[in-house]
Amino acid sequence: MAVRNPLDLIAERFVQIGLPEELFKKNKFNLLVDRNRVVVRYPAPGVRSEVVETPTGVKTKVYVEPGTKLEEPVTLCFGAAEATEVQTTEGEIVVGEGADVKFRVYGAMAEGIKLKHKNKLKVRVERNARFEFLDLHYNGEETFVELETETEAYVGENAYFRSLFKQTKGRAGKVRIVLKAEVGRKGVAVFETKMIGKKDDEIYVEDVIHLNGEEARGISKSRIIAVDKTKATFVGETYGNAPKCRGHIDCSEVIRGKEVTVKAVPVVVVNDETAKVTHEAAIGSIDKKQLETLMARGLTEDEAVDVIVQGMLR
Amino acid sequence: MVPILTINDVKLSIDGKPILKGVNLIVNEGEIHAILGPNGAGKSTLAALLMGINDLKSPDEGELIFRDKLLNGLSIYERAKLGLTLAWQEPARFEGITVEEYLRLSGRNNPDLNVEECLTLVGLDCSYLFRFVDDTLSGGERKRVELASILAMRPKLAILDEPDSGIDFASMEDIANMIRTMRDRGTTVLMITHREEIAEIADRATLMCDGQVVQTGNPKEVGEKFKNSCVRCEVRNPELVGGE
Repeated sequence: MAVRNPLDLIAERFVQIGLPEELFKKNKFNLLVDRNRVVVRYPAPGVRSEVVETPTGVKTKVYVEPGTKLEEPVTLCFGAAEATEVQTTEGEIVVGEGADVKFRVYGAMAEGIKLKHKNKLKVRVERNARFEFLDLHYNGEETFVELETETEAYVGENAYFRSLFKQTKGRAGKVRIVLKAEVGRKGVAVFETKMIGKKDDEIYVEDVIHLNGEEARGISKSRIIAVDKTKATFVGETYGNAPKCRGHIDCSEVIRGKEVTVKAVPVVVVNDETAKVTHEAAIGSIDKKQLETLMARGLTEDEAVDVIVQGMLR
Repeated sequence: MVPILTINDVKLSIDGKPILKGVNLIVNEGEIHAILGPNGAGKSTLAALLMGINDLKSPDEGELIFRDKLLNGLSIYERAKLGLTLAWQEPARFEGITVEEYLRLSGRNNPDLNVEECLTLVGLDCSYLFRFVDDTLSGGERKRVELASILAMRPKLAILDEPDSGIDFASMEDIANMIRTMRDRGTTVLMITHREEIAEIADRATLMCDGQVVQTGNPKEVGEKFKNSCVRCEVRNPELVGGE
């Protein structure tokens, strides 16, 4: 009897919930983990890694060697193609001095499964390095994930770190995202969260940025679309602790439904007279003028809403 | 001359204040028709009522007829499906939507859609296709993209609310040519403006003041009337200003 390649089954389940098929066809993954099994491991040039399977997930250590510059993103996937109660992932990423890399990380939870996913990540971006961490989540419409993820980042002198958390497809589930960064002299930290909550999803996002170095910069940006009975909270805290540092919190949340509860809490603290931290927060229904404009071009109301929402989440 | 739009004795009050006081107007198929008038004349309210925006779906009294179809009560979408559209005076901005996507959405029912040409006709080069229709565009650029989206859609009737606002004087000829192109491609244009020199590109013009039509006819004559009477009237009767 022919034994089916486990990767084929994973591909089938993950493509079904929206993961791009070409990731599998073109063998794009540098690391693919299904529950607690390492299914694919393929090194990227200049990137050293240790991956250890644990009873409920994996522990990873990644070291990007100084000066490494990669055109292509390092592509990782942590998911569950079949039911499991818990998945835990722990990681450490060090991006060496002067390196310039982008990690594209797919979180994929197959259709219909229910699980708790816990993730802890420590990131260190050394002097003059540039690191983008794109965390793209795909769930099925009938999937329910309780996600707890915490990232602590140190951004060194003149370094750049961008973290994007994006709920691309399916239900968000019950989500708690905490992102913290300490930013050194002339360093830049950019946190972006883009999510859509449906049914009785619960979303909690907390961004905390400490601008500790002179002329450090920080941006915390959230776009949350809350539909049906979703409860969503965004807490953005930025601390301007050093001379001439600049921070900005930009929160925009759209509500669709009478039973939605949405809260935005910007916290702005400045401890230096030359520092400046600003914030803007907007919570409301879909912008009427945007809606009317698209309808005047012949889109139905539902089509127009979809275009506006997808644009915000892009 | 075949009427494409007939406005019959339209009256509308907003918050108890009469804005349109019995407007009668016929726009003929294939023409550029300018509605000229001072601020507060009711021009933009009439445009909103025609498109059904700002919750203005029906007048209090009177009829809006588009190609034998009564517009009163129809949704924005239903009016657009009939072939009517509006270019806003201050167009909306869209996060995460590129100019190309916006033009393709606007022109999705136009089999001859050419987005590059739409941009060229409003004086923008093709690099704008990749720009977002958001705050990164200047007011003038956004305005041009709005007009390009009308070209992309190719409606039967386009209402252009102050198409010249936000456009620098040197570029006005581009916009005038674009409006003529729109007409030459089969779109009737109803253009709202308070500048008589813009109204001169029209085939016919209507002067509105204080919620009523004062005169319809040759754009030069209507422009003269506006300059010589309405502008002075505006100064004499400041209560007429600011009603829109």
